[in-house]
Amino acid sequence: MPDTPQLQAQLAAIEARFRQRLDDELDTLDELSAQLQDAPAALRSLRDRLHKLAGSAGTFGYGELGSMARQLEQQAQTQLDADSTDAAVLTELSSAGAQLRPLLQRNEQREAQPQQLEAGTSDEDRHRRIGLLIEEDDLASQMAQTLDSFGYQVIRLASPEALQTSAPLDALIIDTSPPGSHLLDHPVLQQAANPLPPLLIISSLDTFASRLQAVRAGAVGFFTKPVDLPLLERRLERSFNNQQGGPFRVLIVDDDTELAARYQLVLSNAGIRVDAVSNPHLLLEKMHNFIPEVVLMDLSMPEYSGPELAQVIRLDDDWLRVPIVYLSAETNAERQMSALLKAGDDFITKPISDSTLLTTVYARAQRARMVSDALARDSLTGLLKHADIKEQLEVEVERSKRCQAPVSVAMIDIDHFKKVNDTYGHACGDNVIRALSNMLRQRLRKVDRLGRYGGEEFVAVLPGCSSSDACQLLESIREAFNALQFSYGGQQFHCSFSAGISACENDEWAEEELLERADRALYQAKQSGRNRLCRDTGAAD
Amino acid sequence: MTVLERIMHIEDDPSIQEVARVALEVVGGFTVRSCDSGADGVAAADSFAPQLVLLDVMMPGMDGPQTLIELRKLPVMQGVPVVFMTAKAQTQEVTAYRELGAAGVIIKPFDPMTLSEQIRAIWEQQHA
Repeated sequence: MPDTPQLQAQLAAIEARFRQRLDDELDTLDELSAQLQDAPAALRSLRDRLHKLAGSAGTFGYGELGSMARQLEQQAQTQLDADSTDAAVLTELSSAGAQLRPLLQRNEQREAQPQQLEAGTSDEDRHRRIGLLIEEDDLASQMAQTLDSFGYQVIRLASPEALQTSAPLDALIIDTSPPGSHLLDHPVLQQAANPLPPLLIISSLDTFASRLQAVRAGAVGFFTKPVDLPLLERRLERSFNNQQGGPFRVLIVDDDTELAARYQLVLSNAGIRVDAVSNPHLLLEKMHNFIPEVVLMDLSMPEYSGPELAQVIRLDDDWLRVPIVYLSAETNAERQMSALLKAGDDFITKPISDSTLLTTVYARAQRARMVSDALARDSLTGLLKHADIKEQLEVEVERSKRCQAPVSVAMIDIDHFKKVNDTYGHACGDNVIRALSNMLRQRLRKVDRLGRYGGEEFVAVLPGCSSSDACQLLESIREAFNALQFSYGGQQFHCSFSAGISACENDEWAEEELLERADRALYQAKQSGRNRLCRDTGAAD
Repeated sequence: MTVLERIMHIEDDPSIQEVARVALEVVGGFTVRSCDSGADGVAAADSFAPQLVLLDVMMPGMDGPQTLIELRKLPVMQGVPVVFMTAKAQTQEVTAYRELGAAGVIIKPFDPMTLSEQIRAIWEQQHA
């Protein structure tokens, strides 16, 4: 497919023209909105314009704006269908332009973001407020310190009542372990009118009853003492980023394109990315290109059965994690079981209601992503494991070739790590590894990928970065890490790292070569005295 | 199977018209005739003789379904698949379009990079 710079330029030019028209369009919406109270015909025009916008905005990357336009369109339609007009809805509609404009601005701010090279996480993360309702002083201050170093703003609450006066929280951590603590039964926490932020519970009891109590209180995480703080931080992050990694991706395999279009409509309206394949010969190619998180498979197609195709998918280890859900008119339980025994995970029986489809797919996709995420991450640091960071590198190299943009790889290795382990013990060594991984995670951009490659070795993949950009970014992290003071058994010490950087500025290179080159540059950095960066020169050997 | 070359796109929104043209011409390699209205499409059908028509549903004047009925009256349009493009959220509409004789439905917003692929899949299914 000709995904050339010219095509990108043409599309960008059309987008720019759309953007210009969008301003006029919002002005027109304002004018129509102003006429709503007096001229009934304005409502029809408003509906039509909102409809157009709902259809076009997403194509040009203004998805949120498109969704809002659709909501407003539906409100206008309901008004048109009803005999009488609802004053409240009219008031809402009369601010259509005002409701859409902020989304336009937000889109533009976001678009600008990936270009930023400044270190640090986004504002969203930096200002996330975590409330601590923890009586035990040591635990509270230790947790406050750790969460602070992860970039969260920590608010210690003296009592549940303090929740009512505190600034809005993004998450709440409650220690239920003190004897006689009935914190979870406290009226403030029980008030349904006052929805609680995501709740994480710490308990001294690891029993079924204590876990059940946590679930009933609405907890998204449960931890027993001593609390594994990095694990807790991972859970926090996950509760914020349920949608991390973008919208869910669902592949529909059905020879009936009309039905596929229906499913596609329902799912894409819920913000899920959908692709369909009607020709089974293209199935594997589509799987590799689209990387679905759920496959919806018609049970019986003219030449192939669903279970056959599911088995074909399952032959590939890469796809073992992907749930396959059959769509079928089959209600015979025995035949359903036999299909599930061959391959596949679930059944939805036709005719399928929109809500059943959506709920099943959403639940499956959410769980698949969580499992995939948990399997892909290293238990000590929460970073991607060796194989998964390599996979991410492959994805980014492909993307960079497609977009004609550079991508850099940094291989980072803690200096004299064996000495840290030998002198202070492995527990202390683990702390050093966590500290570096935390720092990298905080300082790299959202778009960067970070993995623990080996014992004390890390790999960062930096899309859109030339090797000099990458050096600049890594250099500031190197200085900050070197300045960190570690303490162990009353002794203070500092650590450093060396890094080798390579960049794919020449689209001939494969990911393996990028890694090799970064590794060679790392070796040079080590040879020339450590605590420094070396850049691969790109010269042939 | 005949190779799909000529596509007529009937759409009143200039932004969508432009992006679909690039998507179909540059990505898909098709020859595209863009028409601003249903009437425009009906008038141009004879000379352009499209092999497939991509038709917006909601347009001022003649809407998509009305345009389809008018197109069907033309001898040159017999057996030519018509694909609706719609931002309508209700699934029953899709069935309704199908009953009108639409060969397929493409949902807006669409991805310019995969539009041609979607069209080709519908074409192949028509000729399977």
